[in-house]
Amino acid sequence: MVKVRLKYSKNGPIKFIGHLDVMRYFQKAIRRADLDIKYSEGYSPHQLMSFAQPLNVGATSDAEYVDMTFESITTVDDIQNRLNATMNEGIKILDAAVLGDNDGKAMTIVAAAKYKVTFRDSAKPTFDWQSELREYLSGEHLMATKKTKSGEKEIDMKPLIFDYDIKDEALYILISAGSVNNLKASLIIDNFMKSKGIEMDTIIGLQLHKMETYCAGEDSKGSYIVPLISHSESDKIYVTFPE
Amino acid sequence: MNEKLALSDEILLSVDKPERYIGNEVNSVTKDKNKVDIRFAMCFPDVYEIGMSHLGIQILYGLFNSYDDVWCERVYSPWVDLDKVMREKNIPLFALESQEPVKNFDFLGFTIQYEMCYTNILQVLDLSGIPLKSCDRTWDDPIVIGGGPCTYNAEPMAEFFDLFYIGEGETRYRELFDLYKESKKNGDSREQFLRKCAKVPGIYVPSLYEIKYNDDWTIASINPMYEDVPQLVVKEMVTDLSDAFYPTKPVVPFIKATQDRVVLEVMRGCIRGCRFCQAGMLYRPLREKDVEVLEKYAVQLLENTGYEEISLSSLSSSDYSGLPELIDFLIDYCRKKKINISLPSLRIDAFSLDVMSKVQDIKKSSLTFAPEAGSQRMRDVINKGLTEEVILKGAHDAFEGGWNRVKLYFMLGLPGETDEDIEGIGDIANKIAKEYFDTVPKENRHGRTVDIVASTSFFVPKPFTPFQWAPMASKEDFLEKANTTRRGIMAQLNQKHIKYNWHETDASVMEGILARGDRRIADVILKAYKKGCIYDAWSEHFHYDVWMETFAECGIEPTFYTTRERSKDEIFPWDMLNCGVTKQFLYREWETAMSGKVSPNCRQQCMGCGARSYNVGVCMEEKTGRN
Repeated sequence: MVKVRLKYSKNGPIKFIGHLDVMRYFQKAIRRADLDIKYSEGYSPHQLMSFAQPLNVGATSDAEYVDMTFESITTVDDIQNRLNATMNEGIKILDAAVLGDNDGKAMTIVAAAKYKVTFRDSAKPTFDWQSELREYLSGEHLMATKKTKSGEKEIDMKPLIFDYDIKDEALYILISAGSVNNLKASLIIDNFMKSKGIEMDTIIGLQLHKMETYCAGEDSKGSYIVPLISHSESDKIYVTFPE
Repeated sequence: MNEKLALSDEILLSVDKPERYIGNEVNSVTKDKNKVDIRFAMCFPDVYEIGMSHLGIQILYGLFNSYDDVWCERVYSPWVDLDKVMREKNIPLFALESQEPVKNFDFLGFTIQYEMCYTNILQVLDLSGIPLKSCDRTWDDPIVIGGGPCTYNAEPMAEFFDLFYIGEGETRYRELFDLYKESKKNGDSREQFLRKCAKVPGIYVPSLYEIKYNDDWTIASINPMYEDVPQLVVKEMVTDLSDAFYPTKPVVPFIKATQDRVVLEVMRGCIRGCRFCQAGMLYRPLREKDVEVLEKYAVQLLENTGYEEISLSSLSSSDYSGLPELIDFLIDYCRKKKINISLPSLRIDAFSLDVMSKVQDIKKSSLTFAPEAGSQRMRDVINKGLTEEVILKGAHDAFEGGWNRVKLYFMLGLPGETDEDIEGIGDIANKIAKEYFDTVPKENRHGRTVDIVASTSFFVPKPFTPFQWAPMASKEDFLEKANTTRRGIMAQLNQKHIKYNWHETDASVMEGILARGDRRIADVILKAYKKGCIYDAWSEHFHYDVWMETFAECGIEPTFYTTRERSKDEIFPWDMLNCGVTKQFLYREWETAMSGKVSPNCRQQCMGCGARSYNVGVCMEEKTGRN
């Protein structure tokens, strides 16, 4: 039994495929590629596969992750090549790595994500949003109402933003993600626009592009985040996690 | 990958299931449009998930794209939300692969699978910017061609089509494409081209026939307008199915289609001759595919699609002579590959129960019987060779095997049906429940009990069946019959184990009008469409009152088409077509039905239906004699 983590991109028209359908898509791709995936026990066995984080319909990504459990593998390169040979170009396996016994599930270890956020043409602000946004983000507290399962909650977004940059008509932002302190990039823009007195439908108005998904770690230099598949020490980004 | 979509991100994100409109599915075919001569848009006039489940389109899509000079793409009806946006913003309907307007194509083909999709055909033409009526089109518009079961009487839609293809699509399209290329090269007019098409076997050109009517509204005559146009258009048929094209790389949708599995067609046609069944007549004679061919296709299809389920397709899979061998192969292969096998249309007997116990979870699956009628008398009238004894024996064996859920399908409104026939529905459901309690002792029930669902649909007489002469029941009769059924079930001892469902009456009445309708109904369809009727096959979008109001406005009495009994020599709107089965045979069967007698099936004895003229399939087999 071998656990393998795959990194894949989701681009072009494929961005309109919802998360459940992406899962179904992978199940079929694995069969087409004839990979020796492990199945669950029971009367209707399913492939052992676990996705890191669902991506919104309409968002693109260069850093989606899925863990798969195989009965046997040749090499991770072989898995990558065989899948890519049978997949739609919109979803492409970019990297693959064998997981150790102690590695957590992709789904549970996500701690941060980096996004590129742009306005779709129909929603482009008529004012100099880049300077205004820079000023907004420099505030000491960035209060927002977050919808949760149990209702609404007032949160401060500021400590959940690790880093950002605004250039070339885009916001590049590294934010807390995962099951504990998940911040949506769209929530930031939503509140920024509200601060300008503008209500916008962020699902339709914003194009989100996920650039990387990170998990958390700690070493002698402090706490850091690192891509879910990392081949180099230099991938580590040292951050301060919120309380 | 085609990056350029016809719809903007904003539109796609504001409609339900944008995946319906983006193409790019696995196995979809993209070609260089400058390197093909013919661009064919193949449409199933319903929503994507329904259309993508249709085998016929997958076959023709694969076949056409196997030709170097043809690029076939797919089109489906935009759902009502996108329909609205496209009208508001004047966005032309596009084909999925190229995302380019359908209007620019050479052909627009519709598969017409059910009558209730007629307004969706107008929707697709309208959104494409193609004139709705054939007579208003020019060479700037695609040639609009229809195929599928409803073309055996698409007279209500005749004005909207340039051509109908009568029969199985595999045989004549190549010829039609060559003719098209030649006509374009010669600079023929569109009319000249259509006239030439009339000479291609199986091609019916509705504009080349003149229909005259009697004062009593029946048809007086159907005549070709020119000497070189055939009086009778004869159905096209594949003679060697094993050798025929089969798509081994079908398009795999991203979203879950209704048919979310590999579909393996094992044969065409049916030997049974149920008198209500149009498919049983249209696809005669029964032709089987070789087991070896099917085994090869099964493996290729599963490898090329990645589906986790395979299903056998035919009108009556139990009649496929290679079934045990094929099933053995599939069970063995699918077990290794963790693939499910789904076996619809199997008759319940010892063999099928054994097979089902191997491929299904008995606790989750249910048994399906389709007695179609409640009494033996009525089952003889419709020639459904299923007896109460066989049903109870099947149920008994199944209950012993661990099943406890049973689905029963019946029709109401069959010709000559009486209250006693209807009451038989409750009676047989009760007997099945009793069979369970007699078969399974209390200590073996483990807290489970028997669960029977009886469903009734309303019988709609169809062209090219022995019942094409029969009056259809009225809406009021249907409701009364459903009530009688319900009361009959409620009166049973085991009634709390029997659940009863019935279909809506309005849609059945509408289907009945269209099924045996004529060209004069076109005005009603057009007017109803203009009033906003689309997706009539979806009960939430079907507006019976609007349709009835439109019939009144057009001065057409719907009951002329439904509740009226036809005389023996009445000329039917579809009499310019020959489906391989003669009208004489159908009338003989109608008379046999009225005398309450059954007819043997095609393997037992040839009844001389006419399909033998094709010299293929079951017609060539040695007969076993009655029973």
